[in-house]
Amino acid sequence: MLGLPLAFTIPAVLTALAALPVLYWLLRLTPPPPDRAVLPTLAIVRDMERKEETPAHTPWWLLLLRLLIAGLIILAMAGPLWNPDVDARNGRGPMLVVMDNSWSSAPDWQQRVTRAQALIETAGGAGRPVALRATSDEPVDIVPGTSTRALDQLRSLAPVAHSIDRKRHEASLLAFLDRQADATILWLTDRVSVAPDRDALKAVAAKAGDRLTVLAPDESAVQALAGPSNTPEAMTVRVLRADGTAGAAGALRATDWRGRPVAEARFLFPAGAREVTARFEAPLELRNDIARIDMPGQISAGAVQLLDGRNKRRRVGVVSGESTDTAQPLLSPSYFVMRALGPFADVREAPRGAPDPYSRLIEDGATVLVLTDVGTLSGPALARLTAFVENGGVLIRFASRRVAAPADALMPVRLRRNERVMGGALSWDTPKKLATFLAGGPFDGMRISDDVTVTQQILAEPDAALSDKTWAALEDGTPLITGEKRGKGVVALFHVTADSGWSTLPLSLAFVETLRRLTGLSAISGDVQEVGTAADASRRDDALLAPLRNLDGFGAFHPPSATTEPVRRNFQDAASAKHPPGFYGTQESPLAVNTLTANAELHPLDLSGLTVRPLAARQALDLRPHLITLALLLFLVDAVAALWLSGALARLRTRGAAAAAMVLLGFALAFSANAPQAVAQQPASPAPRQDRMPSFRADDIEAALTTRLAYVITGDREIDEISRQGLQGLTRALATRTALDPGEPIGLDISRDELVFYPLLYWPMVATRPAPTEAAIRRIDAFMKGGGTIIFDTRDALNNRGGTSVTPETQYMRRILSSIDVPDLEPVPKDHVITKTFYILDGFLGRYATGRTWIEVLQRNQEQDRTRPAQAGDRVSPIIITGNDLAAAWAVDRLGQPRFPLVPGDARQREFAIRGGVNIVMYALTGNYKADQVHVPALLERLGQ
Amino acid sequence: MFASRTTELPQRLGSQAAHRMAEGLAAALPRLSADARRASASVAAGVHGRRRAGQGETFWQFRPFMSGEPAAKVDWRRSARDGKLYVREREWEAAQSVWVHIDQSPSMDYRSSFSPIAKNERAVVLGLAAADMLVRGGERVGLIGASPAIASRRIIERLGEAMMASPGFGQVFPEAPLAPRSEALIIGDFIAPLPELDAKLKALAARGARGHLLLVSDPAEETFPYSGQTEFIDPEDGFRLRVGQAGELAATYRQRLAAHRHGLRQIAGRLGWSVTAHVTDKPASETLLRFAMALAQGSAAGPAGGR
Repeated sequence: MLGLPLAFTIPAVLTALAALPVLYWLLRLTPPPPDRAVLPTLAIVRDMERKEETPAHTPWWLLLLRLLIAGLIILAMAGPLWNPDVDARNGRGPMLVVMDNSWSSAPDWQQRVTRAQALIETAGGAGRPVALRATSDEPVDIVPGTSTRALDQLRSLAPVAHSIDRKRHEASLLAFLDRQADATILWLTDRVSVAPDRDALKAVAAKAGDRLTVLAPDESAVQALAGPSNTPEAMTVRVLRADGTAGAAGALRATDWRGRPVAEARFLFPAGAREVTARFEAPLELRNDIARIDMPGQISAGAVQLLDGRNKRRRVGVVSGESTDTAQPLLSPSYFVMRALGPFADVREAPRGAPDPYSRLIEDGATVLVLTDVGTLSGPALARLTAFVENGGVLIRFASRRVAAPADALMPVRLRRNERVMGGALSWDTPKKLATFLAGGPFDGMRISDDVTVTQQILAEPDAALSDKTWAALEDGTPLITGEKRGKGVVALFHVTADSGWSTLPLSLAFVETLRRLTGLSAISGDVQEVGTAADASRRDDALLAPLRNLDGFGAFHPPSATTEPVRRNFQDAASAKHPPGFYGTQESPLAVNTLTANAELHPLDLSGLTVRPLAARQALDLRPHLITLALLLFLVDAVAALWLSGALARLRTRGAAAAAMVLLGFALAFSANAPQAVAQQPASPAPRQDRMPSFRADDIEAALTTRLAYVITGDREIDEISRQGLQGLTRALATRTALDPGEPIGLDISRDELVFYPLLYWPMVATRPAPTEAAIRRIDAFMKGGGTIIFDTRDALNNRGGTSVTPETQYMRRILSSIDVPDLEPVPKDHVITKTFYILDGFLGRYATGRTWIEVLQRNQEQDRTRPAQAGDRVSPIIITGNDLAAAWAVDRLGQPRFPLVPGDARQREFAIRGGVNIVMYALTGNYKADQVHVPALLERLGQ
Repeated sequence: MFASRTTELPQRLGSQAAHRMAEGLAAALPRLSADARRASASVAAGVHGRRRAGQGETFWQFRPFMSGEPAAKVDWRRSARDGKLYVREREWEAAQSVWVHIDQSPSMDYRSSFSPIAKNERAVVLGLAAADMLVRGGERVGLIGASPAIASRRIIERLGEAMMASPGFGQVFPEAPLAPRSEALIIGDFIAPLPELDAKLKALAARGARGHLLLVSDPAEETFPYSGQTEFIDPEDGFRLRVGQAGELAATYRQRLAAHRHGLRQIAGRLGWSVTAHVTDKPASETLLRFAMALAQGSAAGPAGGR
């Protein structure tokens, strides 16, 4: 409008501006009304009339002010928008907003939502039907609706963690364009294509022509991770980008299972390259701990790679042919091997003498098997190991002391029958040294250490292929280590034993390094899951793994949602809607599902020939609240001016109340200062909730300061009244007889009131009341665990026949207690401290005398307890159960007279009931103190000596 | 700002309005009666009878016989004590009629926010209290045009009933001259023009009646606390006066009010009547006491001295 970035959502309202002149005329005619006053004595000044005329017309500036107010309100009602979204203003028919919401939209998601909101609001303001389609939605028919509905839809939208094929929507979009001839489509895209949908928009664009506008960032800064690989030297991961120019350098961060940082790596894209490999140079032990690699600069699920056991340390099985009773275990060959492998591999040794150690280790998940002192393999063991190697396992064999030259299929070379001894008493040769590593072999580039001398070895039959199989050779060219690829696996042979008998190799650093490299070979030849027989594999692979933790579109962990489905153990695909990325299975051996597969690539979306507009747009500003605020302020000014004109202000001043006017003005100013902020906050997301100190209720503070008895309000008015009167009677007895002077008893609603202030809670069971809620029971449980004592009074001693019949009250109590952690109970024993805390009692009487009182079982120390008159545990029993209706016996009316007759009504019964109550309260408050008190005479006696 | 009770006066004029006003008054009568009794009781403690010679039973004084008097007046028993002749005088106990008029014109139905009570209500309180006081002093009290002069211990109730029984009570200023030797108690605000007042009072006193004027006014009328643009309304006839700056009118108003009061006093003085002013924010008993003093003094010195 007029070149200003201003638009009105309801421009029709602006016609009301034409009515302003009428308003002007009306305002001019009606001056502010005068005060009216009745004055009986007016007669004496009657002739003074008309000397001073009131202004017939409103002053011009007041008129202007009022016209301004009216104008502002009309403008505000027209819904002015500053910086309206121009892209949403093309076209008249329905508008469809398509939003890419796969992980690649996550980094600038907020901007996308803001833009989409602006688009929808602008279109909705223009009265156009709006539809919103996220690419993660099912491609069903598109029906335009109100902008409000689209906005609601938008608010609930979040980027999903998996990649999406945009082509799914082609059909529904084309159908939509067919149905709505005047519809426009706005596509908010992220320019990244993972699935084969690079030309996804082409078909739509061909049909829509200029009705399709693509809103995309100028360049895609999206970067992603794929294909982590734990190579022997480093953990590598592929860093991908869709655009060959954006974001050349960056950093990666690796964290372990608990989120602790493990390692960092930097990467730098060569110019134009869309892929680079980043390396985490860290010790293998640390690398094995890596559970997650992410890119701090990229907040998306694609920039996260989760690692599981497949990327972890190798499991090495060691099988020794030695007998079970090893006389010198520290000299056994397997000991050397285990020590050498220990730092970087998970070494398992098969129990000696086990019938089938190989199968056992393979099922255990070993990827490398080391055979020391094992002779010729045959039978099922040979078949088993052959399958293992064919499937990708690494078999490392050592020369055997007993069987010098094993001859079976699992040997890289054919061996001669006898070993050669050098430098011995019967030999002319001096011990040979390690000389060369085979170029291109697994040991290529290793430092040749001088300290390896070989005195005895087995030799290979000369062969044309021998030199290629000799990975390490001695000075005279005879092989030290030979190896060969078999199937997916490797077979390697050390021509010496694994102990130090034949050579010093097992004592040298080279031994560790060679083993390490050999172990690493299994990393290239497959992972744990692939190793093993086909039957094993299929059994394992069929296992379904439940989701453990999932990633959302932003790459953050959250608990799995209900729609997430379990995956098979051999799941290797990219994540999908059913299987979002994350960890599946158990925490001990999780399976990682990643957004991108190991060989995924990012491509830029082909947008050539399309109308592409920048995604970022200036935010539209709704001027309505500002205009209304301004109008209100002017209205205040007008009110003050009117007061001033009518002289009321002058009167205020004469009465010394000018301060009141100043307060009014001050309020107006404060309002004007605050209002824009308040309005500005409104459209933004709700302000972060401030963590405030919990406010304490006044009665809680009061309750904390006064010790008082409490009862549970059951909801039965009569019972509650008895509880109250009973505790009142007990309170009086306590105040007169003991040093305790409790406050007025209080009734508590266990589902609402804070219980922690009350040491003792009296809870009469009323079977007709609904059982307490689960939350209330949890509070009761917490109260009991926190040291409180509850008296459950079933009040059924009179009706309780004993035996199997259970009164409703008891049933009710059992229902409550069934979900509470109740300790073991016993009838109060004669020597329990509760019978001695104030009075010495035999039992706890109430209105009835026949019921038993139950209390937590004491932990007794048998020998010494015989002599002690009082027993007490370390804590107060959290629960006391009685059926004697204690409160009814304690209950007194206002005059202090007992309310209820007692059964059987012995004269001493009431006195004993009150004594019982006093004891219970004392027990709840003092605990085992009285049990210790009984030692006082003995202590005094000892002091006297 | 302050508020006044009377509004929309044009509707309150006429006989219907008078009815309504009387009804309002009737509703308030029990309360007003109690006020009146309290006021008269507090005054009665301080003022006693008429204390002058006249027709009565009680001995008043002996005075020397003056020549020309009938010989029958000589009190021979007293005269026998010494050689002089004495006349025995008795205290004046002849009951006299006091006629009360309480102005109930629309201008009286006014109460500003400065005052606890409306003018007409206060006028009724004063009238009834004065009646009670006078009856206890031995007079008979009647309401002009509403009740004959009676001397009852329950005079307050009797007069109250009479007020309620006669709807037009107090609306019109009495015009028939009062009987000689009777006294009039006129309670009102007397804001009519002075010549008019002069004529009315003269007509009342034409046959030699004595009288007292009790001028009731509202504090707002006394001080004129208005400022700014104000439209004044006369409750009598609904006349409106719009004033741009009421504050500037205040000085003139006060000046004229004072002149009006002065004129009223002069008119009353010429007739030998007393004038007592009462402002409604002051207690009724205070004014009643002053009225009682005026009554005693006026009787002693006034021209209608009871002879």
